[in-house]
Amino acid sequence: MSETEKTPSSSAAKSAALLPEPVFTEGPWVLLPHRAWPTEMWASPWKLPRYRRGAMMLAGLLLLGTGAALLIGEIAPWADMLHARLMLAMATFGLPPPAVMCVWGALQIALLIGIFILAPVVIVWWERKISAHIQSRFGPMRTGGFHGWLQTAADGLKLLLKENITPQHADSWVHRLAPAVALVPALVAFAPVSFGQELSAADIDIGTLYIFAMTGVSVLGIMMAGWASANKYSLLGGLRSAAQLVSYELPRTFAVVPVLMFAGSLNLSQIVAAQQGYWGEGYGFALLPRWFIFYPVVGQLSFIIFLIASIAETNRTPFDIPEAESELVSGFHTEYSGIKFSLFFMAEYGAMLLSCLLMASFFLGGGSAPLPFLRFIPSWAWFLSKAVVLVFCFLWFRWTFPRMRVDRLMDFCWKFLLPWSFANIAFAGLYLLL
Amino acid sequence: MNTAPAPSRSELKTDQLFVNLGPQHPSTHGVLRVGLTIEGEIIVKAEPDIGYLHRGIEKLCETRSYGQCIVLSDRLDYCSAMTNNLAFCLAAEKLLGVHAPQRADALRVAMCELQRIASHLILLGTYGIDIGAFTPFLYAFREREMVMDLFEMVSGARLTYNYIRIGGVRADVDAQWVARTREFLEYFKPRLDEYDTLLSYNPIFIDRTRGVGVISAEKAADYGLSGPNLRASGPAYDARRAEPHCGYEKYPFDVITAESGDCWDRYHCRVREMRQSVRILEAVLDGLPGGEILAKVPKIVKPAPGESYAHVEGARGDLGVYLVSDGGPNPFRAHVRAPSFLNLSILQEIFLGQRMADAIAILGSLDIVLGEVDR
Amino acid sequence: MNDSNYFKTIWTASVNTLKGLYVTWRYLFKPAITVQYPEEKLAPYPAFRGTLLFDAKTCIACGLCAKACPSECITLESRKDGAGKRVPKPEWYALDLGKCNYCGLCEEACPTKPRSVWHSLDYEVAFSERSEMLRCWKSDTPFLGEIWDPKAKKLKKPKTHLQVQSVPARRMP
Repeated sequence: MSETEKTPSSSAAKSAALLPEPVFTEGPWVLLPHRAWPTEMWASPWKLPRYRRGAMMLAGLLLLGTGAALLIGEIAPWADMLHARLMLAMATFGLPPPAVMCVWGALQIALLIGIFILAPVVIVWWERKISAHIQSRFGPMRTGGFHGWLQTAADGLKLLLKENITPQHADSWVHRLAPAVALVPALVAFAPVSFGQELSAADIDIGTLYIFAMTGVSVLGIMMAGWASANKYSLLGGLRSAAQLVSYELPRTFAVVPVLMFAGSLNLSQIVAAQQGYWGEGYGFALLPRWFIFYPVVGQLSFIIFLIASIAETNRTPFDIPEAESELVSGFHTEYSGIKFSLFFMAEYGAMLLSCLLMASFFLGGGSAPLPFLRFIPSWAWFLSKAVVLVFCFLWFRWTFPRMRVDRLMDFCWKFLLPWSFANIAFAGLYLLL
Repeated sequence: MNTAPAPSRSELKTDQLFVNLGPQHPSTHGVLRVGLTIEGEIIVKAEPDIGYLHRGIEKLCETRSYGQCIVLSDRLDYCSAMTNNLAFCLAAEKLLGVHAPQRADALRVAMCELQRIASHLILLGTYGIDIGAFTPFLYAFREREMVMDLFEMVSGARLTYNYIRIGGVRADVDAQWVARTREFLEYFKPRLDEYDTLLSYNPIFIDRTRGVGVISAEKAADYGLSGPNLRASGPAYDARRAEPHCGYEKYPFDVITAESGDCWDRYHCRVREMRQSVRILEAVLDGLPGGEILAKVPKIVKPAPGESYAHVEGARGDLGVYLVSDGGPNPFRAHVRAPSFLNLSILQEIFLGQRMADAIAILGSLDIVLGEVDR
Repeated sequence: MNDSNYFKTIWTASVNTLKGLYVTWRYLFKPAITVQYPEEKLAPYPAFRGTLLFDAKTCIACGLCAKACPSECITLESRKDGAGKRVPKPEWYALDLGKCNYCGLCEEACPTKPRSVWHSLDYEVAFSERSEMLRCWKSDTPFLGEIWDPKAKKLKKPKTHLQVQSVPARRMP
C-alpha cells in the first residue's frame, strides 16, 4: 500500500491537474513524509512504536530465557535417569560398563561440539546487532524474518559454496591442515570447563594447565597459515600474529596464578567450588558472594589482566592488527576462502567463548548465584549468563576502541601487563599470609 | 639503489621492497597511489602518484558560461562544495565589479560554515576508521545527514548544491530553516564533547597519533600547506582573518592553532574548528539582515577582459580561483588553487623514516580529497 | 622513573577508556535512526532536485533549457505548420537522463508559467539498459515521457520510476 500526501491548499484543484499520473514501483511500501531527526526521536523515544516493540521483545526474550532455564533445570535429574537406563540397555546387550562410558562420553562430546559450532553462529549475529545499535542503526533485519536471525547461517552457506582456492606455490598439505590445527585445540580445550555443578565433560585434576596448553597449540595453526600462503605479506602478518599470541599468553597465565593460589588446585570444578558461599554469612546476612573478583586488589587486578590478555589472544580490537583490513600488511588468512576461512573464523569465536567461560569460572564463581535467594535458577544458567555478559564486553570493546600499533601492542604486553601480573602474584602471596 | 655502507657485524643487509599504497585501498581517501620503497618497516622513499580522478574541469570551464561553471566547481572538492562555489563566484564578481547584498553575504557565510562542519565530520569519521575505531564514522555521518537535510531544504541537493551564484545566492531561507538550523546546533554541541571522549582522548588513539608525522612550521610554510594542516604546526594564518570576505570580520571566532604539528594536533584542530563554526553560525543566525539575495547581474555574464583571483578558507585550506576573461560569455582560463594538491606534496618528505603503520595515520590526518587534487 | 606520573597516566588512561565505553553504552539504548529502505521510503523536501519531468502542452519550444544545460542533455525541435513556419510547440523533446547532473539550470531558464521542464521529487529512477536513459516526448506524451526501445523500434512507458507526490510537482516562480 502506498500513502501519499496531497496539499490541502486552495490551489489543490489546479495542482491536481498539473500532477503527473502515478507510476509506482512494485511491492508494499510506505512513504515517510516527515524526515524525523535524531533530536525528535531521542527526545521522546518511548513515543516511537518501533522502540516500544523492541523493548518489549527484549524483555520477553529475557523472561523466556529464565523460564527455559527453570524448565530445563526441572528436567535435569532426567539426565541421571537417562544414564541409568543407558547402562541397563547396554547390559541387556551384553556390553561391559566401559562401553557405556564410551557412549556416554560420545554424547557429551557431541554436545560440546554442538555448543562449539552454535556459539559462533549466535555470537556473530549478536555482534552484528550490538554493533548496529551502538551505531544507531539496525543490523540484520531480513534473513529469516525476525531481525535476521538466519543471517549467520546464510553467510556460512555462502562461504561453504565458495571455491576452495589453494595458491599454486603454497605447500598444499600445510595449507590444508592449518585451519584444522587452529580449530581443533580450541575445541578440545572446552573439555574441562565446568558448566555447573558436576556438569563438565572431563573433570581432570590439571584442568587449567590442559586448557592453556591447548590454546597454545592453536598458535601453530596460525603460523602454518602464514607460511603456507606463499605470500610475503601473509607470512609477515602470520608471524606478527603468532608473536602477539605467544606474548600475551604469559600475562594471561600469570594472572590466573593468584586464583590457583587461593583455590589450591588446578581442577576447574575445585576452583568453582572454592568460590561458593557468601561473605557475611556468619553474621546472618549475605553481603557479597565469595567470587575471586571481589578479593581486594588481587581479584580485580587479575581479572583486568586476564580480560585484556584474552582480548589480545583472540585477536579482537584493540589488538586485531593481524585482521585489520585498512593496514597495509595483510593478515594470515588472506589466501583462505570458503570453508577454510570459516574454520579460522569459528576458531576465533570459539576461543572467545572459551575465554569468557574461563573468566566466569575463575573470577565470577562459575555457577554460583550472586545472592542466596536467587539459587532457584540452575547453576548452568548462571554460568552461561555470566559468560554472555563477558561476551558482550568483548563485543562492546571492539566497537568502541581503535586499534593499537604492533610495536605498542608488544610494549604493552611485556612492559606493562607482565610486570603487573608478577606484582599481582606478590600481592596474592601477601594476602594469603595475612 | 643500495647505497648502504659495508655492513658491520651488527647490521643485517635488508632488501628494499617496493609497495603500492593504493589506488584501491580502504583507507586512502580517494584514488591516490603512493609508491613506497620500504626497508624492513621503515619507508625510505615515497612517490605520490595522482591523476586517477582527473576530469579536465579547468578545461571544461573554458567551454561553459560562468553560470554553468559553478556547476562544475561543485564537483571539485565534493566534500566541501559550498566553499568551491563561493571561491568561483567571488572571482567572477571581482571581474564584474559586483558585490553581493548583505543578506546574501550572511547566507553565504552560514552555508560555508555548515559545509565546514560537514567536511570536518567526514575527516573525523574516516580518520577513526583508518585508526581502527569504526563507531565514530557512523556518528559523524549521522550528524552529516542533518546538515545535508538543511542543505536540501534550501538548495535542493545534498552534495552538489549549485547554490551560491554570481551576485548572491540562489534561494532565500525562511524562518523554518533558521529554526531547524538552531535545532541542529543545539543537538550538535554536546556531540563534539562526545567525539572528544570517544576518540580524541582515547589513550589508544593518542598513542597512535601523538608524535607521529610531525611537520615543523617552517616546513609547512615551505611546502605551501594551508588550513588546519598549517595551523596545527603553529602559524595562525586563516584566510577568513587575513583577507575577510563576505563579511567575516563581523563574526566572532578564534583561529585554532596548535604547537607540535603531529597527527593528533591536525585532527584536533579540525574538531575545535567545528566548535568555532558553530559560534559563527549562531552569530549569523542571530543577526541575519533582511534584503535581497541576488544583486543585479546580467543574464548572460560577460565580464570585461581582465583577470581576478579570489581565495576563501575552505575546509581543507586556502582555496583559490583564478579567472581570466577575454570579454566573452565563457572564461578564457580558470585555474583552481587546490589546497589538497599542495598539502599532498609534503608526503614525499613526511613519509621518510616513518613506519608503514604510521603512513596511513599521516595520510589520513592531511585530509585530502582527490577531486581537488586531480580536478 | 617518575612514580607519580606513572600512576597518573594509568589513572587518566583508564578513566578516559571508561568514559568512551559509557558513550557507546548510552547509544545502545537510543532508537536507531535508519529507515528500512524498500518498505519505507523517505520523501524529499519540496526544494529537492530530482528527476526531470516535461510537459509538452505548456512548452513553447524556445530552446532556453537546451542552451542553459551544462551537460547538453536536452534536444528538441519545434513544430512547423503547413507553410513551414515555426510554431511555439515542440515537435519532439528528448532528455538524456544519463547526462543530467541535476543542477536545475534548465528549470530556472524555462520562461513559461508553470514551467515546462522541472525537477520533480522523484529519486528512484533505475535503468537496465543505456537506451532507457533517453526519455522522449511528443506533443501528447504524459509527463514521465517514453523510452525508445531499439529492438522493438517503438516507444514504451518507463517501468521503474517512483513518483513522490507530497507537494505540487512544479515550482512556481
